[in-house]
Amino acid sequence: MSASTMCTTALSFTRTNGLCLGNYALSLLSRTATYSTALSTNNGKGFPNRPIRGPRRPKRESGAPRTEKMLENQDWTAVYPSAAPFKPSAVPLPVRMGYPVNRGVPAEKKGNLELMKIPNFLHLTPAAIQKHCDALKPFCTEWPASLDSDAACEEHFPIQLESKEFVSAGSSLRNPKTRVVTLKVKLSSLNLDEHARKKMVKLVDDRYCKETDTLTIVTESCPLRQQNYDYAMYLLTVLYHESWKTEVWEAEKTRADMEEYHWEDSRSQKNVLDTLRRMRVTSEGEEDPGAVREELLGQPEVQEYRESVTRLKNEGETEETMLQYREAVKKLLNV
Amino acid sequence: MAAPIVIVRNVGAVARTVFRTSRALHKVDICGTYDRQAISSQSWRLQTPATFHTASVFRSAPAITVIDEPDTLYQKVEVLVKGHDKTVLDSYEFFATLAAKELGIGLGKVYEPPKHIEKLTVLKSVHIFKKHRVQYEMRTHYRCIELSRVTGSTVQVYLEYIQRNLPEGVAMEVTKTAIEKVPEHIQKPMWDDAPKEEQASQSGEK
Repeated sequence: MSASTMCTTALSFTRTNGLCLGNYALSLLSRTATYSTALSTNNGKGFPNRPIRGPRRPKRESGAPRTEKMLENQDWTAVYPSAAPFKPSAVPLPVRMGYPVNRGVPAEKKGNLELMKIPNFLHLTPAAIQKHCDALKPFCTEWPASLDSDAACEEHFPIQLESKEFVSAGSSLRNPKTRVVTLKVKLSSLNLDEHARKKMVKLVDDRYCKETDTLTIVTESCPLRQQNYDYAMYLLTVLYHESWKTEVWEAEKTRADMEEYHWEDSRSQKNVLDTLRRMRVTSEGEEDPGAVREELLGQPEVQEYRESVTRLKNEGETEETMLQYREAVKKLLNV
Repeated sequence: MAAPIVIVRNVGAVARTVFRTSRALHKVDICGTYDRQAISSQSWRLQTPATFHTASVFRSAPAITVIDEPDTLYQKVEVLVKGHDKTVLDSYEFFATLAAKELGIGLGKVYEPPKHIEKLTVLKSVHIFKKHRVQYEMRTHYRCIELSRVTGSTVQVYLEYIQRNLPEGVAMEVTKTAIEKVPEHIQKPMWDDAPKEEQASQSGEK
C-alpha cells in the first residue's frame, strides 16, 4: 500500500516534470521505497541522503591517483602523448590556480576549471619535441651551402615572390588575402640597356622604387594564388619585351619627358656660349661661328661649368653642389 | 608509446602532400608498402583523435623516394602568431624555436610586436540610462618568429608540425618569401630572334 502510494506520487511528480519512466522505473521505485526508511539522514560526507528518484547506479569509489605510482625517471611522453586537457590525477605537480579568496591561497589542482580551460603544453616537453623532430628529420632537406648570405641569394636568384598563408578557427577556412602575390625584382639583375631601362621605369610608374632599384608587382585579381603568380610572371615578361621595343612616337620625346638633365642643347649651354662669344667679340673680329662654338665648348672651364650645372640639376641643391657651381662660374667669367 | 604514434600521424599527413629535396634537385615522396585503398582507410583512421593503433596500421616504416623536381627556396619565412593570452604565446614560442633548432632551421629575429587593444563602449542598461555605460576590450598579443634561408621541403615539414600543435584560441599568419631565377624567356629580348614578327598590341601593363 505504502509502496503503491509512493509509486503514484512519484509518477505524478515525474509526469509534472515531463518525464515518462515506465515499468523499469516503477520496479526501481518500489525497491527504493523500502530503502529510504532504513537510511540515516546524514552520511560521512556531509550531504543529506535524499531518496533516489530515477535510475541511479551506486557511485564507484575512485582509486588512488596515478601520480602516486609515478617514478621520477618515467617516460613523460607516454603520459601525455598528444594534446589532452589537464588531468590533475595524471600530472604530479602541486599546481595551484585561481584568485585567492578571503586572503587565502589559489585553489588546488583537483577539480580546478581554470587549469582545464587554459591550453597546456604538457604534450610538448623538450623530450617530446626532440622525439618528434628526430622522426621528422628525414623529410627535411638542406639549404645549399653556397647561398650563405642575402647578397648571394640576390645574385643568383633575383626574383622574390611573397605570399601569405593563414591558420585560424572560424566559420570559414578561407582568407581572401591568401591569393595575393607580390613579385619583387631589381632592374639591375635584368638584361636591359639604357633605353629599355628608362622605358620600363616609365611603364611601371609607381611600382618602381628609385632608392632600392626594385620593381614591385602586386597581383590579386585572380581567384587562385597560382593564377596570380602566373599573371605576375606574364606581366614581367611583357614589360621586359615591350621596353626593348622602340616605337615610332618615341622619337618625339621632349626635354620635359627626360628623366635626367642633359646640358647639351640646353638653355644653359646657349647662355654660356652667348656670354663667352660676347666676351671674345669685344677683343677679336668676325670668325666662323661653328669653329668658335667648338673651341668654346672645348675649354676646361666650360666643361667644369657643365659638370656643376648637371650635378646641381640632377642631385638637387646641397652645399657641395652650390659651392662647385660657384667655383665653376668664377673660373668661367675670370672673376 | 608516444614516438610510433607520432610517426604514424605525421606520415599519414605527409602521404597527402609531396616533399622535395634540393640536394640533387629531386623531390622526396612517401611510398609505403601499402596499397591506395589502405591509405584512404588508414588516413581516415588517423584523423580520429583517440584511436591510435600503431602496430596494426603499418607493417613497416615507409620508405622515402626522391623525385625529379627542383625544390623551392625561401629566403625568409615569417610566422606571426596571435592570441589573447600572452603566456600561451610564450610557451608556443619556446616550442617553435626549439623545434626549429632541432630540425636545423636558421632562426632570424624572434620578437614580440606590440599588442593591440580594441575597446568598445556600450550602454549598461537595456532601456534609457544613457549616462551609465560599460566598456569592454579585446587584447590581441602577437609573437613573430622569422626563419631565414629554408628549403621548401623543410618549410612544409616545419609548418605542418607547428600548425598541428597550434593551441586553441591562437591564430597564425605565415608570410613566405620565395626566391627564383630569372626565367628563360626574360633572359634576352625576343625582338632579336624574330624581327619579322608583328609587334604585339598593348598588353595589360597598368
